[in-house]
Amino acid sequence: MSTISSKQKIEASLKKRYARERRFRLYGVVSISISSLFLMVLLFTIISKGLPAFQQTWINLDVTLSPALLGVDANADPEALFSAKYAKVIKASLKEMFPGVKGRKQKRALKNLVSNSAAWDLRDKVLENPKLIGTTQSFWFLAKDDIDVFMKGGIDRNLPESDRRIKDYQLEWIDKLIAEGRLEKRFNTTLFTAGDSREPEQAGMLGAIMGSFFTMLVTLLLSFPIGVAAAAYLEEFAPQNNRWVDFIEININNLAAVPSIVFGLLGLAVFINFFGVPRSTPLVGGLVLTLMTLPTIIIASRAAIKSVPPSIKEAAIGLGASRVQTLFHHTLPLAMPGILTGTIIGMAQALGETAPLLMIGMVAFVADVPGSIVDPATVMPVQVYLWSDSPERAFTERTSAAIMILLGFLVIMNSAAIWLRKKFERRW
Amino acid sequence: MEIGHHISQRYNQELEDIRTRVLKMGALVESQAEEAVKALLERDGKLAKKVASSDYKINRLEVEIDEECTQVIARRQPAASDLRLVIAVVKVITDLERIGDEAEKIATYSIKLAKKPPISAMHSTLLHLSELVLSMLHDALDSFARMDTDKALEVISRGSNINREFDDLSRLLITYMMEDSHNIKRALRVIWCARSLERIGEHSRNICEYVIFLVKGKDIRHTDLQEILAEHFPDDDSD
Amino acid sequence: MSDVLPTLPGLSATGDNADTQPLPVETRDEFDVEISGTVGKPFVDNPKMASRNCNVYYGDKQAIFDVNLDIGKNEIIAMIGPSGCGKSTYLRVLNRMNDTIPGCRVSGEHTLDGEDIYSPDQDPVLLRARVGMVFQKPNPFPKSIYDNVAYGPRLHGLARSRTELDEIVEKSLMRAGLFKEVKDDLQKPGTGLSGGQQQRLCIARAIAVDPEVILMDEPTSALDPIATATIEELMDELKSRYTIAIVTHSMQQAARVSQRTAYFHLGKLVEVNPTDQVFTNPEHKLTENYITGRFG
Repeated sequence: MSTISSKQKIEASLKKRYARERRFRLYGVVSISISSLFLMVLLFTIISKGLPAFQQTWINLDVTLSPALLGVDANADPEALFSAKYAKVIKASLKEMFPGVKGRKQKRALKNLVSNSAAWDLRDKVLENPKLIGTTQSFWFLAKDDIDVFMKGGIDRNLPESDRRIKDYQLEWIDKLIAEGRLEKRFNTTLFTAGDSREPEQAGMLGAIMGSFFTMLVTLLLSFPIGVAAAAYLEEFAPQNNRWVDFIEININNLAAVPSIVFGLLGLAVFINFFGVPRSTPLVGGLVLTLMTLPTIIIASRAAIKSVPPSIKEAAIGLGASRVQTLFHHTLPLAMPGILTGTIIGMAQALGETAPLLMIGMVAFVADVPGSIVDPATVMPVQVYLWSDSPERAFTERTSAAIMILLGFLVIMNSAAIWLRKKFERRW
Repeated sequence: MEIGHHISQRYNQELEDIRTRVLKMGALVESQAEEAVKALLERDGKLAKKVASSDYKINRLEVEIDEECTQVIARRQPAASDLRLVIAVVKVITDLERIGDEAEKIATYSIKLAKKPPISAMHSTLLHLSELVLSMLHDALDSFARMDTDKALEVISRGSNINREFDDLSRLLITYMMEDSHNIKRALRVIWCARSLERIGEHSRNICEYVIFLVKGKDIRHTDLQEILAEHFPDDDSD
Repeated sequence: MSDVLPTLPGLSATGDNADTQPLPVETRDEFDVEISGTVGKPFVDNPKMASRNCNVYYGDKQAIFDVNLDIGKNEIIAMIGPSGCGKSTYLRVLNRMNDTIPGCRVSGEHTLDGEDIYSPDQDPVLLRARVGMVFQKPNPFPKSIYDNVAYGPRLHGLARSRTELDEIVEKSLMRAGLFKEVKDDLQKPGTGLSGGQQQRLCIARAIAVDPEVILMDEPTSALDPIATATIEELMDELKSRYTIAIVTHSMQQAARVSQRTAYFHLGKLVEVNPTDQVFTNPEHKLTENYITGRFG
């Protein structure tokens, strides 16, 4: 009985096997921890940088709307009211509040306490109610970006004056305003209601959001039907072992791997130069992104269609349904969760795409919020790119805020994908 | 006609086992019949007693084989030739058991006949009858063992000889009984023995019919011999 | 002993004396029986469906060789044979389900009530309405029980009104022996039923379009014995209205339900005979080997 029984052999190897198993699990935990750590760092950086952008500093001024300064009286026609000199009035009220200001530099600094949008705000209010002319009113105006940055702690007042963007006299004014309760931080609605602007305090995401919306709309309306139809044809109707079909299949798979900038060049050459589609518009953006999204949708839809049990199709055909009836009555409804998931993932990918859109001019500075698919527009990721490129200190936090908004949309879309999958999922 | 080559080795073994046991039972029955006849003809009371007390072995084998066949039917659901084999075996062993019973009867009468003086007149006829019957039994078992339908058919055709011999013997014994009424008791015993021999012949014939059923898949019971020949052995028409 | 025997005069030295010649060597395995034509009785009087010289090819591979078979009216014919013997393929020839398989080619004459089912005028949709099919795996649509049964009638426009459709659904479920069990749950999903109930739902779905022939491709292979018995009982009842062709791997099932049994082997129809005969005394060696569980 010198031979070891298999039980003993197995026992001997068991310890080793379990150790290996534990080790493997540990590797898994470690890698997941590392990746979640990176994710946390990323999110923390973006959120900590971006959060202040959701607040904005406002300044309260007592404005005397004297007809003399404005150059109009209360009875003037709207056109005259529109072109009245509101900036002068604001400048006068600032001078009144800080009487000791001397020199060009300080005077300019005083004027720049409030954003240049303050004059337009005032104009809107007067136009709304011309009777304000001649009275003194207390108004809240948007503060200039430097003041905003300072209020959010972006500028250290203990630095030597020469190293600061805010000089000592400006500090005095700010302290006075704070003491009088004339400085206030409010929720930044501009970010969601305004288009892009050279002035950080006036810059908003709405233009980019609408641009993205129209671009996505075009992409979805084009790529979903084309993609699903292509997938259904390739899976259900295309002749098998046909050289052309194989060729098309290979090309679709290759398209998915083509760098997105190439699609941009293609869009530029074909859509803009050849077909004359207006550049910088969601229409051309959507067309280019359709090209990019199609392979994703086709591949996902084919997988979804393939996963529909053949027994269901056979049952329908066995009952006398035609192939198209089988497709529309059974195959597509059963494949829908997979198709929708694929589509949404493709759309999310398109939503975050920047490079090809740079090629077709969607990187232009567009201040107006686009109202249709043929208005010049930019999209969210391009907006992020634009802001991150701007020198103003206040754009840094806005860049992060824009990223947060973009990520928010992506999370919503992915959640929608999961929800749709759950909703349409059927067991068979 | 073979038993082996099933995908299931166990099944092969089970069927082979059944067949072997049937052959064993056949051998036992044959030796019982031979010894009973020997005891009858040689008036050997001792041998007759031995035969009479050995019938239980046959009965036990019958029960065992029956049980095995039931098991095979229940577990294997035999079909076609396997089904016919099991059915044939169940029937063959019934006939074998009856032959055993007949041998026992002959042995029981032989015990009594041995105590009385012999009836020498019909000895040769009885000898002839028993030889016929024993050879028929032997050949029937042989045809079963070899699944030989030609031999089985030949054995079936021998049945008429036995009837003739039995009739001869009956006539002889009636004459004998009429000569002297004291002989009646002995003569009746002899005729019962002859009757048992005739039954053994009949059972052997049945066994041969089962062999044909087993091999050809046709039930030829209660069919005229000529019809059987015409239908199933067209080649043998010449003889 | 050959060297002892003298050569008979009159025969040449190379004569065909058996003793001097080597005996012919039996090279073939004893089970390697050649299949030449079908034995038994493949033809019936006044058949419901008939095939002559049926050959089926998948690309270059031939799946069925020269099958000639009649399916009688109101009979259950069972098709048995080892896997890959072509019995399922042949069954699918009968309602042109093979049309959907790319590269599949069917030749020969196939008739339903004397009409050529492969003629260019024959609409496969109409054919499939007349020749229904029940599959191996119960495959109800992921819809309600009602919609499952109503699918075929809706497809072919068999009901003019909602009440008529209700009637068809109820009648079909009743014929499939399922109505009592599901009459209160018609709106529940068909996939929620048990395996046996699902298969009866599939049978109800098939008979809802009132076919003349029902093809069953191993309809009980995924079911337990009780559900199998229910389906077999159902088939026996359906026999009076429909002609049924069933492919089965269970020889006992073929023996229990069918009147005639066809044995396929390597794409050839080896034997067709009354079921009574096939299971007690098959004519062909291969049939015998298959049903007794021997190598072959």
